Amino acid sequence: MVRERTKTTWDHSYNTLRREKLFRHPPTDQSAYPALQEAVNPHIEAFNALFRNDGKPSLLDHALAEIGTKTFLDGDERAAPTGKNKLTVRYKSVTLSKSQVPPSNKFAKRREIFPAECRERHVSYRGKLTAVLEYRINDGDAHEFVRELGQVPIMVKSNKCHLENNSPALLVERKEESEELGGYFIVNGIEKLIRLLLMNKRNFPLAITRPSFTNRGPTYTPHGIIVRSVRPDETSQTNVLHYLNDGNVTFRFSWRKNEYLIPVMMILKALVDTNDREIFERLVGPPKSKGVENTFLTDRVELLLRTYKAYSLYTKNQTRAYLGQKFRVVLGVPDTMSDYEVGTEFLRKVVLVHLGCNNVTEEQDMDKFTMLLFMCRKLYALVAGDCAVDNPDAVQNQEVLLGGFLYGQILKERLEDLLSTGLRAALRDYLRRNPTVSFTSPSFAKDFPIAIFRKTNENIGNALEYFLSTGNLQSPSGLDLQQISGFTVVAEKLNFLRFISHFRMVHRGSFFAQLKTTTVRKLLPESWGFLCPVHTPDGSPCGLLNHFAHKCKITTEAVDASAVPGVLAELGINSYSSADTNESVVVMLDGKVLGWCSPQNSKAIADTLRQLKVEGGHGVPLLLEIGYVPLSSGGSYPGIYMTSSTSRMVRPVKHLALGKEDYVGPYEQPYMSIAVVDHEVVPGDSTHVEFDPTNILSILANMTPFSDFNQSPRNMYQCQMGKQTMGTPGTAIRYRTDNKMYRIQTGQTPVVRAPLHNTYGFDNFPNGFNAVVAVISYTGYDMDDAMIINKSAHERGFGHGTIYKTKKISLKDDSRTRTTKTISKMFGFAPGTAIRASDREMLDEDGLPYVGRLVREGDILCAWHTVGSDYTGKLVNRDGVTHWERYKESEDAFIEEVRVIGSDTGNEPLQTLSIKLRVPRSPVIGDKFSSRHGQKGVCSQKWPAVDMPFSETGIQPDVIINPHAFPSRMTIGMFVESLAGKAGALHGLAQDSTPFKFSEDNMAADYFGHQLMKAGYNYHGNEPMYSGITGEEFMCDIYIGVVYYQRLRHMVNDKYQVRTTGPVVPTTGQPIKGRKKGGGIRVGEMERDALLAHGTAFLLQDRLLNCSDYSKSWICRDCGSFLAVQPTVSPFIGKRKQVGTVRCRNCAQRLDQMEDLDLMKLDGEIWEDGQGVQWMGGENTTMIVVPGALKYLDVELAAMGVKLKYKVDNNDHIRRSALRPTPPKLLPSVAVA
Amino acid sequence: MSGQGESYGQSGREYENSGGGGGSGAVMHYMCGDCAVRVPLEKGAPIRCQKCGARVLYKERTKRMVQFEAR
Repeated sequence: MVRERTKTTWDHSYNTLRREKLFRHPPTDQSAYPALQEAVNPHIEAFNALFRNDGKPSLLDHALAEIGTKTFLDGDERAAPTGKNKLTVRYKSVTLSKSQVPPSNKFAKRREIFPAECRERHVSYRGKLTAVLEYRINDGDAHEFVRELGQVPIMVKSNKCHLENNSPALLVERKEESEELGGYFIVNGIEKLIRLLLMNKRNFPLAITRPSFTNRGPTYTPHGIIVRSVRPDETSQTNVLHYLNDGNVTFRFSWRKNEYLIPVMMILKALVDTNDREIFERLVGPPKSKGVENTFLTDRVELLLRTYKAYSLYTKNQTRAYLGQKFRVVLGVPDTMSDYEVGTEFLRKVVLVHLGCNNVTEEQDMDKFTMLLFMCRKLYALVAGDCAVDNPDAVQNQEVLLGGFLYGQILKERLEDLLSTGLRAALRDYLRRNPTVSFTSPSFAKDFPIAIFRKTNENIGNALEYFLSTGNLQSPSGLDLQQISGFTVVAEKLNFLRFISHFRMVHRGSFFAQLKTTTVRKLLPESWGFLCPVHTPDGSPCGLLNHFAHKCKITTEAVDASAVPGVLAELGINSYSSADTNESVVVMLDGKVLGWCSPQNSKAIADTLRQLKVEGGHGVPLLLEIGYVPLSSGGSYPGIYMTSSTSRMVRPVKHLALGKEDYVGPYEQPYMSIAVVDHEVVPGDSTHVEFDPTNILSILANMTPFSDFNQSPRNMYQCQMGKQTMGTPGTAIRYRTDNKMYRIQTGQTPVVRAPLHNTYGFDNFPNGFNAVVAVISYTGYDMDDAMIINKSAHERGFGHGTIYKTKKISLKDDSRTRTTKTISKMFGFAPGTAIRASDREMLDEDGLPYVGRLVREGDILCAWHTVGSDYTGKLVNRDGVTHWERYKESEDAFIEEVRVIGSDTGNEPLQTLSIKLRVPRSPVIGDKFSSRHGQKGVCSQKWPAVDMPFSETGIQPDVIINPHAFPSRMTIGMFVESLAGKAGALHGLAQDSTPFKFSEDNMAADYFGHQLMKAGYNYHGNEPMYSGITGEEFMCDIYIGVVYYQRLRHMVNDKYQVRTTGPVVPTTGQPIKGRKKGGGIRVGEMERDALLAHGTAFLLQDRLLNCSDYSKSWICRDCGSFLAVQPTVSPFIGKRKQVGTVRCRNCAQRLDQMEDLDLMKLDGEIWEDGQGVQWMGGENTTMIVVPGALKYLDVELAAMGVKLKYKVDNNDHIRRSALRPTPPKLLPSVAVA
Repeated sequence: MSGQGESYGQSGREYENSGGGGGSGAVMHYMCGDCAVRVPLEKGAPIRCQKCGARVLYKERTKRMVQFEAR
């Protein structure tokens, strides 16, 4: 009997047995939670596209074709190229192998290295990159050779990973989660992923008005057309058309971070053999068309053509040669190329590369020509006001830069750099060293593949690892990106929600984070269904860091649209056009103009195409985006813009006419009529309907129960807090070595949850616990968002959690220097030395800690000693000193695991140790909890169960919260959850909490109220309750129910900060900052104001002086300075330190400089300074208390030549105001008789 | 327990046997991460499982009594 395939559909119920079965026996066929994998797939598929194994050309193949052959010449560099030997090199193929043990390891039975091992050993998961190169000398026979380009990090679960297509059972066997998702890299044991970035939509001319365009030079206007043109290998080149005041158009591009401007006419003439008439007619329209009547356009086009005459370039050949001459140096082409060839190369590499960037045919040049003319036409329409500006901040004009593609771009650039820069330098160096050798000599053939290549920096793997571990892009070209850092993030496994969110996260780019304007952050209606409106953080990244709606997919492969031009030809499109959009609109596919048609016709064409697309089987793929922009007055430039490319967001909706699934993209969506729910369908207008209104929400936002009842910011807060919850990061915790990992001991499945909770398998990663919550003001300890926890609930394990910390102890110095073969330190006690018994007690014989032991602050974690090799090569300890590694944190912990880590060659003694510590964290007062409705609170008291209020059924709450938490926050969803949870708990049901299910006619309170009634409870969820202290019934009924609570990772134990004295900043004497270092918390200006306002002068002095930079200091009363005082030195006392008298050097007189010195007449004490100089006077010094910062200020000012004078005595005080008349003396009292 | 634990006796000098040779310490046992075999390792021996060549070994839980205050 064939075993049934694991079912993948889920409802909202508990499914306890099914889940238990899945957990005990992980399926061997497929995962039960495909939606989870689907969420991460864009990352994996993008990486897979780099190195494909299905026969189709991979991105890297495209890249290698684009890199092409590099030509080098021997002989004198300054001499002409004639007579020199020519060497051409090209990449034949580049392959990445899976992660394997190096061949030098003779011991490993299994050669594969699995990701789990890399996590445990704190190393990178990577495979060997190998390039096959081919070279010819003077176009002779091709010689092949192979170079290894280092170890490149591999994405987990990609097609270069051992875990690809593993069944859950196999994954568990390989020490992974049963639902391991992949999509990240492992760099030094840390999971890193490349963030998704929003980019401009590719191959689409965007009409932009940007004031900064005027900075390009005189006559430049803010109007421009931007095309982000993408090559088949996913690298891009942005082309911009600028409109000039006089009607001219300039073509701008940037090459290796420099910008260049060229008249657009020059590009047009260089692309094809053309004439002015053709350009005019293709811009304006054929004679007698309506376009000719547009004098605005004709005037400017005439000027465009006339001004170009100044260059006197007429033919294609002339123009290309001219361009080639100008750009020869910029492009870095070999001397053997003619100017014409360089011009061709320029057009290939820079101009509209999406229409051809490799072996460009004449047809492709014609496409570029047509496209460029279309861009000019759109630019003139923009200037004339016939076309609206496209918003680059709207999702409509955006696509996603996938991590895998970015990785490929870096790889390509490194490969190209290796040949063009690295190899050139190595060859030059070689030829300089061996002047007699030419390319044809036999010694060169021997040296070239090995000796010369070794001189180049061919370790590409290192560069990629650096990129992943720092997120910094080191690139000579900048890769057409707007930022150079912040590309990678750590995929933190704090809890599963946070982990999964990382993969659905999309950033606008760190460039926009600095922007003062908020326009980029706005939630636009175009985002509907693509970006979640709820799931964005508040604060600085708000609106820049978005999350995909859970049904939003990202295309990672271009769909086959080769049949579309044929279909269009049948539907009727012309090859000629007019500038008037009433006459003809463009039909475009992936940035290539296919033809033109009338605006009336365009609607019919778009409708027919959509019909064919949804029906399928007509060569029009389902994932094709058909952006039909209707004719409007002054709206977006009309036409049909079709896209089949990768990196697009798409989402499923239901096509009404055919009743089938259709995928829509962000460009077409604004022009479509998609009803949200069935009853909103407008006959004759709506073409589509959403499958589910919750499709617009992200995975996390969908987990908020009854989120439609809440005020929207509360749902945003929940999306934040869900990610900060102490939850269950996974089941393979034993095989993980994260620096810090949080976990709750008593996780439960929520009673109230949406079916998606099961679809995404969140029951495998419980994130909280169901708590009986009473909304009541009781004891006063629930004020201000505090919550009271039932002490007995706490004792039963309510919210109990654990932190795992991993400490890596390596005896090798920094891993950057990988050639340190020698071993200079070893773990263990230095042999033969006596160890104090108390120290010896803490460690096992091998110098490592006992597993299971409790460690306190200052305890020893392990011992090591230095070694050196003796004459036999044996390692011996010479100094007999044992060094200790200590546990420095103040919190008690337990040794959970001790990992003894070997090298990947398997022949090194113990050098690296990984100790996992377990810190138990039961809830204490001050720990933070929250419900799933943005209602966070801090535990303020663990209240004894006997004193807790109880209901008539004898139920006590686990948690008490204050009613004041609700009126202003309006989290009605929490009330509904409480009601539903209570009813669910009473009936033993899981409750479906999908938002948008209830309405005014079918109210949630009514539905769950009736359930409560059936269980014999109050319909409204209120119950009479009794005080736990007096036993009396409360005056009013208390709202009590079951709410799912989360314990947040913010705990007082990580936060409390106490200090009276401690480390200080040396310059000022004030306390240092930072909890870790025992520093203080700043009493800032506002705090100072508060203390002042309360009149607490003593407290203020205590904070600002006594506990801060209190310092006693000597000062001279006469000159009022700190700086001139010095202690006197007695010549007789010697070194014994003694606070002698302090004198002012400034006010004193130097004896040897006194004129007509007569010792007999001197009156006063003579004192000596350190140099033995004798002085007299300056005795009026005193000790005062001042802030240390004041003295520092005095010194700083003195350095600038500013003197401060302190009036120490009240008598010294200068009166600033006029003398006040003294009050009249009281009249002598008149004695009353 | 203060300081760096430098309270070693100088008399230990003549005692010195080669630190790498493993004369002093008894053989310790570790668990192999892959095949769950008990791996005996001398002091200074290369870290690998003798059976499968795995490169991650775990220290065994201590056999000593571990008693904590339960509160």
